[in-house]
Amino acid sequence: MHIHDIIIDLFLGKSPGQLPLSVWVQVIRVLRYQQCLARIGWRLQDSGLATELPVYALNHLKNADLIAQKQYHQVHYEAMLLQRQLQPLTSHLLFLKGAAYSLNDDSAVGRGRTYSDIDLLVDRKSLPVIEKELCLYGFVAEDLDEYDQKYYREWSHEIPPLRHGSRGTLLDIHHNLLPLITGRAPDISLFFRHTRQTNAGYTVFSPAAMFLHSTVHLILSEEIKHGFRDITDLYLIIEQYQNNDFWQELVSLSIESGFAIEVFLALRYLEKILSLQVPVAVHQKLSTYRPSEFRLRSLDFIFLRKLKPAHPSFGNHSDVVADWLLLLRGHYLKMPLHILLKHLGRKFYLQAVSAVFGSNFLDKKTENHRNK
Amino acid sequence: MTLDVKYLNLPPFCFEIQTDIEKVIRNLQHIYADAFQDSAIAPDYFLTLKSGSGLRKYLRPQARFLADQHEPFKPIDALNGFALLEWGMNWCIATQEMRFVIVHAAVLAKDGKAVLFPAPPGSGKSTLTAWLAFHGWRLLSDEMALIVPGTNTVIPFVRPICLKNQSIHLAKKWFPTAKFSSIAKNTHKGDVIHLSPPIDSWQQNTTSAQIIAIVFPRYIKEQSLEVTVLNQAQAFMALAENAFNFSLAGNEGFQTIVKLVETCQNYEATYSTVAELAEFLEQDVLPNAHP
Repeated sequence: MHIHDIIIDLFLGKSPGQLPLSVWVQVIRVLRYQQCLARIGWRLQDSGLATELPVYALNHLKNADLIAQKQYHQVHYEAMLLQRQLQPLTSHLLFLKGAAYSLNDDSAVGRGRTYSDIDLLVDRKSLPVIEKELCLYGFVAEDLDEYDQKYYREWSHEIPPLRHGSRGTLLDIHHNLLPLITGRAPDISLFFRHTRQTNAGYTVFSPAAMFLHSTVHLILSEEIKHGFRDITDLYLIIEQYQNNDFWQELVSLSIESGFAIEVFLALRYLEKILSLQVPVAVHQKLSTYRPSEFRLRSLDFIFLRKLKPAHPSFGNHSDVVADWLLLLRGHYLKMPLHILLKHLGRKFYLQAVSAVFGSNFLDKKTENHRNK
Repeated sequence: MTLDVKYLNLPPFCFEIQTDIEKVIRNLQHIYADAFQDSAIAPDYFLTLKSGSGLRKYLRPQARFLADQHEPFKPIDALNGFALLEWGMNWCIATQEMRFVIVHAAVLAKDGKAVLFPAPPGSGKSTLTAWLAFHGWRLLSDEMALIVPGTNTVIPFVRPICLKNQSIHLAKKWFPTAKFSSIAKNTHKGDVIHLSPPIDSWQQNTTSAQIIAIVFPRYIKEQSLEVTVLNQAQAFMALAENAFNFSLAGNEGFQTIVKLVETCQNYEATYSTVAELAEFLEQDVLPNAHP
């Protein structure tokens, strides 16, 4: 049995039978890399499989659970401060992605979920005043070169990340779901109509819009490191919130915002990898968005590799090819050709410099500049 | 270049170590001896220490530390690779092992009674640790006390003692036959060396001990021994300041620290002669331990 299949079974609450300790070592290693240790921990508790685990696995799961709990409390604290400081400055203040999972009441996808930054969605108009206000509260922008500044300000859907000087909290402030340069950034007011308030008064996307946003991110990304975490995010949203209204809202919003193909693909991989049951009616409505057989085959090649519980040490050549295809596809989808060529040219230049002079050559150089 | 795969079996953890830096391997063999093994059943952490890529490898070789795929630190001079690996191991435990309350402290024991020495750098903690470990005390830990939540039980995590700057020469003079690593020069902590503790500390590296006292040591030149009893509030604050994962361990961590200061003798000790402090510990602290 392949390590992928064992991990998928564990997630779905199916006993993989007695596993030798050496297999548990691999399972834990892959899950840690995928940032899914705490998630698998509670899934095993809930399905009753936790009683069969060796001490080795229990120890690592316990550690991960404690780390996740701590982050859960921390994000509530940060959200309280942000809400208080920013609410008066913008007509919309939404928590997105990881932070939204945690803030949503009793959400399964938020349980044990860890992430490295807090993502917010606000009105584009209010960005300058929000940026100034956050500066007063100790959030400062990371040092960026001119090219990156230009990228953020002109092409992106967010401002450069802000870090809190003492707490280290990293903030990503967005005004849209996708970079403007992609030509695929949706009319954001559409999404502002699909929100809900948590009991504590935070605004997050409705489950269907949340699913759609996470899907868009996953299917259009140029690099997937934690693919299994991302696909299980989607699985848990559906498992908890699916009903007729959810599916209807998802289908209509995805068509309206132009992301029906992405939703088609996400549901396809949820079925193929995690055996999710998608209602026939949903299939029918999305069937017109099915890519051609040839495209679908190459997409399967990429995503069936990248969304399984992968780890670079256990990969092979076709995983490397999948990474490259994903990088090219992600960029191709997100940038007009002339900008894409310029952007890739710069990326390759940086890679070439690293290859010749060592991976930290460029870090050093910035230090020297500062010294002058 | 291919990386050698070896294992460090250091209860309660096991590390897989991959490295292509010859000097690191020699240090590992010398310092860890039997604990440095060719195979292991269940490694907890997967560490790589490799020389940097590109031309850099030949001009000014660097060592890069990776915990599985993650690189938490900037590379340093390849000659200091072993020290980087030691710090990397500390980093893994301090950031991951939340099932223990971890205090930045040395732990030494006699007859199963352990004394915790939490202290900031520069307080002479490691010099004191080295002296005690070679004078009849058992080393459980030089940097991190792994405390079982809700108890006074400390789990040994026997590793080499990290000595800095002037104490390097002192230790070499004191223990001429002991096993020292090569010196890592000009690191962010200055010059450092790692000293392998005596054999009995290694042999008992799975035997836990009960914490009976917390002593905050402070080395002051030419000062005779001065011991102050700390009240519980003072001891709590001082200990919490040195707890790595105090906030992470949450309520359980808080309760553990409270229980420790309530059940232990708590002292601050300024000293210049280690032997004098040791005498105080052996004659006044150990016999007064609550059962």
